[in-house]
Amino acid sequence: MRTLAVRTLTFAALAALLAPSTARAAASDHADALGALGDVRAAVGEIVRIEDGYAVGHAAYVRAAHRAMNALVGRRDDGYARGYGDPGDGVGTLGHLDRMLDQRASFAWTPAIEGAKANVLAAAEDVQRALGEREMEAYQADLTQALANLALVVGRSSQEGVLGGVSGALGTTALGVPPGATSVAGCVPPAHAPAYGIVAGRLAYVALPRRVASDAIPEELSISRVVVRGDDVVLYTAAARNRALCGTKTAAVAKRVAGVSALRPVRVRGEVHHTRLVVAAASATVPMIPYTAAQAHAGKTVYVKSCLQCHGADLQGSAGPAVAGKDFLENAQRNKWHLSDLRTTVFTNMPFSNPGSLKPGEYADVMAFLLASNCYPAGSEPFPTADKPAFAKIAIVPQKNAKPSDAKLGTCTVK
Amino acid sequence: MSRSTTGAFVFVILTVALSAAVTPRSFAQGAWPMADTYRNADADAANWVLPARSYSGNRYVADAQITPDNVGTLKKAWSASIDARGPLETSPIVWNGTMYVTSSHNDVYALDAATGAQKWHFHDNPHVIAFSANRGVALANGKVYEATLDGRLIALDATTGKPVWNVVAAHDTTNTFYTMQPVPYKNMLLLGASNGDWGGIGYISAFDQATGKRLWDWYTVPGPGEPGHTSWSGDSWKRGGGAIWSGVAIDPATNTLYVDAGNPQPDFLGTIRKGANLYTNSMIALDIGGAKPKMKWYRQFIPHDTHDWDPAMPPVLFTGTVGGTPRKLVAAGDKGGNFFVLDAGTGAVVYHVAVSTQKGQNTEPSRKGNIACPNTNGGVEFNGSSYLKETNAFYVPSVDQCGRWTSPGTATYVSGQFYLGGAFPSIVGPSTGYMQALDIGTGKFLWRKHLAFPQIGGALSLGSGVVFTGGVNGDFAAYDAKSGNVLWHYATGMTIQAPPTTYTAGGKEYVVVAAGPAGVNFADPRMGQGAPTLEGRYKHPTRAAITAFVLP
Repeated sequence: MRTLAVRTLTFAALAALLAPSTARAAASDHADALGALGDVRAAVGEIVRIEDGYAVGHAAYVRAAHRAMNALVGRRDDGYARGYGDPGDGVGTLGHLDRMLDQRASFAWTPAIEGAKANVLAAAEDVQRALGEREMEAYQADLTQALANLALVVGRSSQEGVLGGVSGALGTTALGVPPGATSVAGCVPPAHAPAYGIVAGRLAYVALPRRVASDAIPEELSISRVVVRGDDVVLYTAAARNRALCGTKTAAVAKRVAGVSALRPVRVRGEVHHTRLVVAAASATVPMIPYTAAQAHAGKTVYVKSCLQCHGADLQGSAGPAVAGKDFLENAQRNKWHLSDLRTTVFTNMPFSNPGSLKPGEYADVMAFLLASNCYPAGSEPFPTADKPAFAKIAIVPQKNAKPSDAKLGTCTVK
Repeated sequence: MSRSTTGAFVFVILTVALSAAVTPRSFAQGAWPMADTYRNADADAANWVLPARSYSGNRYVADAQITPDNVGTLKKAWSASIDARGPLETSPIVWNGTMYVTSSHNDVYALDAATGAQKWHFHDNPHVIAFSANRGVALANGKVYEATLDGRLIALDATTGKPVWNVVAAHDTTNTFYTMQPVPYKNMLLLGASNGDWGGIGYISAFDQATGKRLWDWYTVPGPGEPGHTSWSGDSWKRGGGAIWSGVAIDPATNTLYVDAGNPQPDFLGTIRKGANLYTNSMIALDIGGAKPKMKWYRQFIPHDTHDWDPAMPPVLFTGTVGGTPRKLVAAGDKGGNFFVLDAGTGAVVYHVAVSTQKGQNTEPSRKGNIACPNTNGGVEFNGSSYLKETNAFYVPSVDQCGRWTSPGTATYVSGQFYLGGAFPSIVGPSTGYMQALDIGTGKFLWRKHLAFPQIGGALSLGSGVVFTGGVNGDFAAYDAKSGNVLWHYATGMTIQAPPTTYTAGGKEYVVVAAGPAGVNFADPRMGQGAPTLEGRYKHPTRAAITAFVLP
C-alpha cells in the first residue's frame, strides 16, 4: 500500500489517540495473519520445489520436508529441526495463529483462524509422516496431502467462516484492516477515503481514493461490487453480499456467522460470556464410518480385557460412563461430538488407568466394536489406526435404520 | 363405643400431650445434630457427624477403647453390601446408631451402626460424565444431603430416605458434577464443583440447608479486573480449571474456611495458559462470616502445574508443637508428592516434605513424551492424612508411581470431554505406596514404610496410639503410631479408597471402612479381578461393602 502510506500515517496517529488498546491488538493480529500466510507459502514453496526438481538422493527430500515443517511450526516448537534452515520468518504459521487465538476476546475471524490452525496441524502431521517414509511414492503421497491441507489454511478470500481460511478472514472480517487504518461503520458509505467499513466484526468494504495505484488494494480482498463515489472508489467485499448484515436483523447475524454453530453462554459470576464453538461445515453427504465386522469381533476381546471393568458388560458404564446406546448417543448429540473426538479419547486417554498402553491395532478394533455396539453398519474398509481429517466432520448420531438388539438400551450385540 | 376403645383413645391423647411436652427437651439433647454438635464433634466419641469427624478436618479420636495392646484382637462385626458399579470413597456419617453411606452412583443407604442392617435405601441413576465417585452425605435438620454425578443437590428425609427436594446446583452440567461430601456450617451446605479436567472453572458454593437455594459462589479463577487475573495469558482463564474436589476445614472461631483448588486446564499443556494460573493448586483461606466469602490468604503449591497434581488431601487444621512452641497450623498434600504444613493464620510455609518419589517435575509434557514422578494418581490422594496430638506426628499414606506424559502442543475444547491438551500419563515402572509418620516438631520422618501397593485410603488416628489406613490391595491395617509396626490387618478382598471412621454403639467402639471395585484410577493387574464375559452370564467381578470391626 505504497501510495496510501502517508495518509495512513495520519490516520494511525488519530486511531492511536482514540482507541490505543484496540488499535494495538488489531494491528498485531493483522500482522500475524499476514505472517501466517507468508509461512504457509514458504512451506508450500519448499514442497513444490523438491517435487518439481530433479533431486537425487534421500537427503534432499528429507531437507525439504524439514524446512517445510520449520516454516509451519516455528522455532519455538519441539517439531522444529535445527540445522535445516527456515524458509519462513521463524514464528511459524502455528506460532502466528496461536498468538491470534490466545487472547480473551473472540472475533468474527476466530472460527476461520481456528479452522486454519486445525489444517496446519493436519499438514504438519502429513509432513511428519513423509519424513518417516521409505518409498518415494509414499513420500509424495504424504506431501500431496500436506499441500491439500495447506490450501485450506490459505483458503479463499471470498469465503466467510471456517472454509475461508486465513485469506477469507483477511478478506471478509476486521482482521483485514491494516495497522492504524481508519475503521468506519460499514452499513453507510464512507465520508472519507481511505477507510474500512466494518459491521459486526466483518469487513463490508474498503474505500480508496480513485487515483491510487492498484497495488494499494489489499492482497486478500475479494471484491464483489465496485461503486464509484465522486473522488473515491468503494470496493464491497464478499461479506457485504449478505443483505441481513445491514438490515433490521443485524443482531441475528452475529449468531449466523458462517462456521459459528452457536454462541454458547459460559456463566461466570453471574455474567454471561459467550464462547464460540467451531464446527466444521456440514458436508452434503455423510460419509460412512469405515470399520469391518471382523474388527468389531476382535474389538470385543479388547473391550472385555481393557474396558469392561469401568464401562460395564452392557456398555452402560459402571465406574466410567456409558459408551453405547441411548444414554451415550443422547450425550454425544447434546455435546455435538464427532468421530474424531471419540477417537482421540479412546486412542490417547484410554484405558484410563494406563492410557496409550494398547497397540494401535487394538485401539482401532475397539473403536470398531464401539461403532458396531452403537448400531453403525459395518463395511469392507477397516477403521484406520491413523486419524483422518474427515473424522472431524462426522457427527456421532443415532443411526436411522438401526435395529438395536436391546431396544431399551439401544445397543447392538456384536458377534 | 366400648370401654376399651375409649381407654385407648384417652391413652393416645395423653401420649401426644406428653410427647409434645418433652419434644423441646429431647430435641435440644439431639434429635438431629445441631450447630453445637458440629462445633464440638471432636469431643463426641459416639457419633461421627462431619466428613472428617470435626471441622478441623482431622480424623482423630482422643478417647479410644482400641489401643496398641488390644487392637490385635479386632474382629469383623458386620459387613453390608453396597451397589458395586464403581469404587467406594464414602466417608460414613454416624448419628444415634444410624450410619449413612453412599455408592459411587449416588445410592444412599441408612444402616444400623451396630448390626449393619439396612434401614432404608435411596436409589439414583445419574448420567455419568467421566467416572463415578461419591464421598458421602451431610446430615442436618433431619435431612440427608447428597450431591450427585449429574450436578444436583438432593435432600432426603433422614428417617425414611424419601426425597424432600432436589435442585440442579451445578452451573454447567455438561462439564460439572459433584463428588464432594457436602459440609453443614451454620445454615449453609458448602459444596465444591468437580469440573477440573473438562473445561470449566472451579467454584465452591453455599446452599441454604432448608431449601437448596444458592447463597453464594466463590470462583477459584479470578475474572477480569480481579486480583490474580493477570496470572493467566489471554482468555485461558475461561476454561482454567481449579476444581474443588475434596474436603474442607473450618475454624468456627474466625469463620475461616480452608479449601484447596485443583489443577489448571488444559491439564498437560501450559503454553496456552502462560503464568502462575492462580488460584489453581492452591490452598485458600476464606472468611465466610459475611454474605460473600472474602479471601484472607492463599498459598500456591505448584504454580503453572502441567501434570494434574491437585492438592487432593483435604486440609487439616491442628495445633502442633514446632520447636517446642504450640502453633496453629494447617496441613496440605498434593498428587505431586508434596506435603505442606502452613501457618493457619498467614499461610506461610512451616514445612515442605516430599512423601513420594519426585523426578522430572519441571519439564512440561512434550510431543515425544517425558517421564515424571509421581504419576497423576500419585502422591497424597483424596482421603487424606491425620494428625495425632499424642505423638505430635502426621500420618500420611501416599502413592509412589511414575508416569510418562505426552502433549501434542494443542488443546481442543470439546463439550463433555476431557480438556487436557495431552494424554493422561501411562504408568512407568512399579506402582507402590508409603505409610509414613512425619514429626511436626522437626519436619523429619518418625518412620516410613514402603508398601507394595498404593495407599489412598486416608488415615484415622486414635489417641491411644493406633493409626488405621487401607491400601489398593484391600488390606485394612492398624499401625503402631510410635514405631510404624503393623499391629493388625484384615484383607477385605476389595480395593480400599475410602477413609476409616470410628464411633460407638451399645458402648463398644467400632471402626468401619468402605471397600469396592478399583474404578478408573486404581485398577491394578495384580488384583486379578476375574475374567467376566459379555454374554449374559456376566456378574460384576467385584463387590462393594461397608465392613465394621469391633473388639471382642
